[in-house]
Amino acid sequence: MAAAQTEGRAKKSGNGGLSLEMKMLLPVLLLLAVLSFFPLFYIIWMSLNTVSLINGISFDFAGLANWTRMFTDEIVGAAWARAALYFVATVGLEMILGIAIALLVHELVWGKNLALSLILLPMFMAPVIVGLLGRFLTDSSYGLYAYVLRELGIFERDILGTASSALPAVILMDVWEWTPLIVLIVLAGLASVNQYVIEAAKVDGASYLERLRYIVAPSIAGVVTVALLVRSMDAIRYFDIITVTTNGGPGNTTKIIPIRLYETAFRFFDLGYAAAIGLGMLVFSILVANVFVRILESRGLAR
Amino acid sequence: MTTSSTSTRGTGTQVILYAILFLVLLWTLVPILWMVLSSFKPGIAQLSSTPVFFFEPTMQHYVSLFTSANLGAYFLHSVLAAGFSTVIAVSLGCLAGYALARSHFRGKRHVAFWIISTRMAPIAAIVLPLFILFRYTNLLDSIPGLIVAYLTFNLPFAIWIMNAFFTDLPPSLEEAAMVDGATRFQAFYRVALPLVTPGIVTTAILCLVFSWNDYAFAATFSGPNSQTLPIAAAQLNTQTGLNWGQLSAIGTIVVLPMVIVGLAVRRYLVRGLTLGAVTGE
Repeated sequence: MAAAQTEGRAKKSGNGGLSLEMKMLLPVLLLLAVLSFFPLFYIIWMSLNTVSLINGISFDFAGLANWTRMFTDEIVGAAWARAALYFVATVGLEMILGIAIALLVHELVWGKNLALSLILLPMFMAPVIVGLLGRFLTDSSYGLYAYVLRELGIFERDILGTASSALPAVILMDVWEWTPLIVLIVLAGLASVNQYVIEAAKVDGASYLERLRYIVAPSIAGVVTVALLVRSMDAIRYFDIITVTTNGGPGNTTKIIPIRLYETAFRFFDLGYAAAIGLGMLVFSILVANVFVRILESRGLAR
Repeated sequence: MTTSSTSTRGTGTQVILYAILFLVLLWTLVPILWMVLSSFKPGIAQLSSTPVFFFEPTMQHYVSLFTSANLGAYFLHSVLAAGFSTVIAVSLGCLAGYALARSHFRGKRHVAFWIISTRMAPIAAIVLPLFILFRYTNLLDSIPGLIVAYLTFNLPFAIWIMNAFFTDLPPSLEEAAMVDGATRFQAFYRVALPLVTPGIVTTAILCLVFSWNDYAFAATFSGPNSQTLPIAAAQLNTQTGLNWGQLSAIGTIVVLPMVIVGLAVRRYLVRGLTLGAVTGE
């Protein structure tokens, strides 16, 4: 380490410029700055204007009008509330099922690798395909799942077209796709639990639940937190499944905040107002990213 | 992998575990199998109101996708946009990730935080300013536009992950190479870079999956000259009524390559998907 630093310094004095590290780093960070700060400043500026796309693009300075409007807009408020519900339901179910399935797979004697590979499959699928496949399976005339539910007498109406069933259906599609991610991460945590401690506890007569509570749970707590944060950050990014299944309907029952933003921007062409909504979402994801980096630092991983 | 903890448990428990596993696999695999099955199912069997499991398989949906729906063009757009953005992101990510891992400067934490927040910014919030900027710069409906759009998430991701892989690598090997006369850059290029090959492959595959699977950016920015496979799939569903056979075929085409490459790097996936926070098996 010291040698590398000396070398770096030697280079620095040698050609009177930056060290090699800085020469490798700065151009890339400059590009990243263009890709991130440019849109950021631009969206802030957009949120302070009335932006129109008719006859080219026109900006009309509006001060904080978009912002004051957002805080009193009931539709946007409802979309935030629905997003919170959707977020808690999807991420919550994915965590519970993911941890349970990981514990299950960890205990398997044979076929563990094959089982994990099969369980992971949905995670690689494009969310838009998951949504379209979900539409296919729940189609009231030709859908396999719609048929099964109908034959069992559980549900007979159009699943995605009925207000009471549309939200649970899109939640389950998200859960189907992303539970595998939690399984994968938690399994990595389980693999690192100290096996000798487990064996010792067994010799001492500790039951599975006792071992789970006093040995396994404390050792995987960090990994589970990481899984929760990674999933949370992605959960607010993606909205493809809802876009191609219900697109917010029926009767706004699945209209979460990114769907409302899209509608505001590209259907009502109210881009300035949409920018204000987008910034609200950005604040949320920055808060989650902040917690993530803190956790990484406490685990000694962000050096 | 460790197989231990079950040694004292009876076969009764194992039977129950495999029964639950069967249900989990049923939940996971039925939709995928149904999609693949339907992609080979003739049109008439498709329109039966009771599910049909046995039929004479046909390639008609795949053939008509490439002949009448012009899928070849969409496929090419997907390959170009995802491919170029991956290559650019990973190359630059290696340079910056290595430099970040080997340098110490004030405010490095803040740089790291900035990189991760860029990766995590909600797509809906990035799409808006990019849409206007692309209109000014004529990047709407173009492959370069999509490449730039995908770089907004792939570049920070690649820098961050490559930084994690290089941080794990002790600098002593590079120092030894420099003692033997290698320049600083040769130490990076000939010594450090080959040692993180698994990291590079994992990063590349994840970048490829993220951009190949994108819908939101492509739906906003692309037009007839740049539409990708996910857009083709979504349009199929609205244009000519609901052709589930073709939809299943296009779904299979989109999903299959990503499943193969994804499973190929399964060992390293945890590291990549947790942004370096959790080390795999």
